[in-house]
Amino acid sequence: MRYALIAILALLALLIIAPPLLGTGWQYALINALIAALFAAAFNLLVGQGGMLSFGHAAYFGVGAFTVIHLMQSVEYGDFPFPTVLLPLAGAAVSLLCGVLAGFFATMRSGVYFALVTLALAELLHSLAPHWDEMFGGEAGLSSMRMPSLGLTFGSTLEVYYLTLAWVVICIGLLYAYTRTPFGRLTLALRDNEQRIRFMGFNAHGTKILVFGISAMFSGVAGSLMAISNETANYSVFSTQVSALVVLHTFVGGSTIFFGPIVGACVLSLFTFVVSGVTHSWMLYQGIIFVLVMLFAPKGIGGVIQAHIEQRHSLPWKRLAAPYALATLAGLMVACATVFVVQSLEIVLSREYAAAVARTGEYAPYTVFGLEWRVFHPLTWLFPLLLLVPGLYMLRRAFARIQTLWDNDESDDDGDIATTPELMEGGR
Amino acid sequence: MDTETQSDVLVIDDLRKHFGGLEIMRGVDLTIKHGERHALVGPNGAGKSTLFNLISGEHRPSGGHIYLQGQRISGLKPEQISRRGLTRSFQITNVFSRMSAFENIRIGVMARHGIRFNLYRRIRPMRAINEESHALLRQVRLDHRADSLASDLTYSEQRALEIGMTLATGAEVILLDEPTAGMSRDETAYMVELIRQVTEGKTLMMVEHDMSVVFGLCDRISVLVYGRILATGGPEEIRSNQEVQSAYLGEEEEH
Repeated sequence: MRYALIAILALLALLIIAPPLLGTGWQYALINALIAALFAAAFNLLVGQGGMLSFGHAAYFGVGAFTVIHLMQSVEYGDFPFPTVLLPLAGAAVSLLCGVLAGFFATMRSGVYFALVTLALAELLHSLAPHWDEMFGGEAGLSSMRMPSLGLTFGSTLEVYYLTLAWVVICIGLLYAYTRTPFGRLTLALRDNEQRIRFMGFNAHGTKILVFGISAMFSGVAGSLMAISNETANYSVFSTQVSALVVLHTFVGGSTIFFGPIVGACVLSLFTFVVSGVTHSWMLYQGIIFVLVMLFAPKGIGGVIQAHIEQRHSLPWKRLAAPYALATLAGLMVACATVFVVQSLEIVLSREYAAAVARTGEYAPYTVFGLEWRVFHPLTWLFPLLLLVPGLYMLRRAFARIQTLWDNDESDDDGDIATTPELMEGGR
Repeated sequence: MDTETQSDVLVIDDLRKHFGGLEIMRGVDLTIKHGERHALVGPNGAGKSTLFNLISGEHRPSGGHIYLQGQRISGLKPEQISRRGLTRSFQITNVFSRMSAFENIRIGVMARHGIRFNLYRRIRPMRAINEESHALLRQVRLDHRADSLASDLTYSEQRALEIGMTLATGAEVILLDEPTAGMSRDETAYMVELIRQVTEGKTLMMVEHDMSVVFGLCDRISVLVYGRILATGGPEEIRSNQEVQSAYLGEEEEH
């Protein structure tokens, strides 16, 4: 517990100290990562703790964003003074209201039907918004300017970053505190067994509405911060993509652990920032990561981290070092092979390349990893195979070994491996 | 001594229920007295579970009334009935599987204290709640399993937890649906003893198939056959009742 606190404080210190040393591109990427983290944490209150999988959480994110844009416009035109720092409060209030209203209907059903109702409500907004100029600014959306408040001009990205950081830290702190309250415990009981809490004297529908509303409220804060940062919002904040992305972040991070979705959102949005600048195929890579996590670590990145922290005293770290190193190396080899094939195909199958072939009549060499490759040269396709096949073999061996060491962590800490029959079998 | 009406905790008056054209309850009259242990027996399909579902509010009656401590509860929602002091357990184990045994009980204790929408206090320092939960956990003899996930408990431990959760809500009238179903002889004996202890001073109504449990534990027995009460009385009365023997007990012995 004390280590967790130290780790969080260290991370916080880093988030405060580092950004001034970074360029505005990275500052902007960090703002988006923080907003995604808060959105995922708010979403996970509903999914991970309340057991209600929504496919339309973009609605409440978007409501927060549009609320703030409207308010910013009023401030800008001098109609209504409202400090910029407190704008997310307005987004929170309106999203809470919308969440309670939508939640009232959506939570009458559970499971797939609940998911479909939430999806339908978000789609309703998404198709309505482009046609409603006064409210959502039509297809172009609405724009405004951040006004100075409390002596801060909010002219630079860095100031917006600190505003975002403060709001995200406070909100995630509140969401964590929520889990420690009686209602937070009741939320978990609701997830496990709705029928039982009714027979114990709790109003299950009311409980679900409140959980939905609070989740929507914090999603609205995330949307507000997005609007403040972008100074604009249009109907695309209601899109299925936004709803799907938060599901992706939450499950890659791990919905069963409080900090999982936050980790997932940060990792994936920074990954997107870095990779989308390099290749058009970034969405494919994101998809591959999602599939791999779901297949091999269903509890997500957070689940893997938590398992290591929980077992830190009983794991034979010294003996694990070698297979972990092997797995890392093998993982890099497989990743290299995959990236090579994807990048080669991206170039060779592109319209530009096809045009060049049509123009000159020959297949020009192309560059991946700083080297030149020819499309029909056997080495070009032998190279990824040479990485992939041994890489996959080594990965299997390494994971079999890691599995054995994890399963036998306590039984033979000092024993000789070869003397235990089960271990020999597993090690082969 | 209480007068007759005061000692009647649960009164069921001409209770009827049909699902579509299918008549399940065909006018049940039943009175449960304060502090008694009352068994509901009957062949499969007699409507025992339906009667429990009607009393606890899962289903609404098609006709007739149910009174708890003189107040009508028929037509109320399960949570409203539970808050009036009647709680049930379930035939299939129905716990919060991904929470600890302690937390399962604590949710019930929260209900008893009316803590429902509390978002402004931490639960850790709530001493009364936590101590009461520990005491209840001891009472159902699960204190050594306090931190285990409910899903990690053995079957009979889960059934004991189930009873603990029912007690935690502070109910005066407890409905247990086949609490010893699927248990070995030792487990059954243990469970009967546990039920005897924890329902001391409360009113118990239970569905049970095991006749040795029924005759050993309960003061009065009602026999439900095809949606009607065939007979109500003490163990000896029921055992010697000709009608009951032909309708139910005799049939049971043949198996």
